[in-house]
Amino acid sequence: MPCFDRLSERLLFGGIAPRHVRRYVRELSDHFDDLMREEKANGATRELAETRALSRLGSEEDLAQAMLSRPGLKSVTARFPWAVFGLGPLALLALSVLGAVYLEIWLLDHTGPVFRLFHIMGPSLASARTATKLYTIYNSLIVFGGPLLFAWLFYWIGSRQRMSANWIMLGVALVSVLGGFQNLIFYDTGCAGCGHLLIQSAFIPPFPHFAEGLARAAMNLAIAGGAWWLLVRRKTPATMTLSYPAQT
Amino acid sequence: MPNPSFMNGVPELLILRTLEGGEMYGYELVQAIRLKTNQAIKIGEGVVYPALHALESEGMLRSRRKLVNGRTRVYYALTRKGEKHLAGLVRHWQHITDAIGLAIGGTAHAML
Repeated sequence: MPCFDRLSERLLFGGIAPRHVRRYVRELSDHFDDLMREEKANGATRELAETRALSRLGSEEDLAQAMLSRPGLKSVTARFPWAVFGLGPLALLALSVLGAVYLEIWLLDHTGPVFRLFHIMGPSLASARTATKLYTIYNSLIVFGGPLLFAWLFYWIGSRQRMSANWIMLGVALVSVLGGFQNLIFYDTGCAGCGHLLIQSAFIPPFPHFAEGLARAAMNLAIAGGAWWLLVRRKTPATMTLSYPAQT
Repeated sequence: MPNPSFMNGVPELLILRTLEGGEMYGYELVQAIRLKTNQAIKIGEGVVYPALHALESEGMLRSRRKLVNGRTRVYYALTRKGEKHLAGLVRHWQHITDAIGLAIGGTAHAML
């Protein structure tokens, strides 16, 4: 059975979408099996059947060029890295905040009647404190967890397409830094409809939360950078070198 | 046919024409093309897959996975858009082969 790892790496470095590469390699393996079966049925020995099957399948160069010559099979990440790693973090952070706020408002609108239905808590100071705590946990998960999750997403997208480390670092850094400068705050004062939901950005003048944003951005960068360093250290042995130049 | 530029569009035409008869998986399709062309066009059999992927991306083909004898095969079939595209390609190649047939002094004959 031929190993298509080198072909696969070459196609990924060439910008072919991972889904096409995976399917291509699977189809080539199946095709090779069929050719082996056909050659053996025609009386060839195992070695001869393998040689003939490989020859009929095509050389690695031909197989690679056939794929690389079709720009339509390239991924969006490879074609527009500036959009994915440059604009992607901005769009993703904005959408995540909007989505989180939308969900929070929906939950605030719907959890009150549910609580009242089960007589768990009516509109009181105690229930306001509980609601504030619950929604603070939710907001913290969004504000602290969101940028780190997106940093991992950009690392995953970039590394599976064998993108240049510079593009991946740009996406991870942007999402870590910008994510650190946004905040969601909720507090409930105890009367029905008196909750306050605030969206803060440390970039808004006169920058009262800038130092806090800076600290969170640094924390995000440290966590993302540390996780990346651990991943790269685990995946790449010291002796391993890349056979193909990374995409720029 | 050694001239690659002259071969432009030929794999697509052969694939679409062969799939007109029904859905097939890669190996099956390549063998059908070999039979159809009397093995006159020899290309690495593996290079048919990039053409299949590209045709599917363009909406000319659709694919589905099917379990056959314990193995998952990707079957390709012609779409309505593919049928229309094939009709155009056949007309185009018919025109070219007729013209070349006349130019080299023979009679024009139907292709495929």
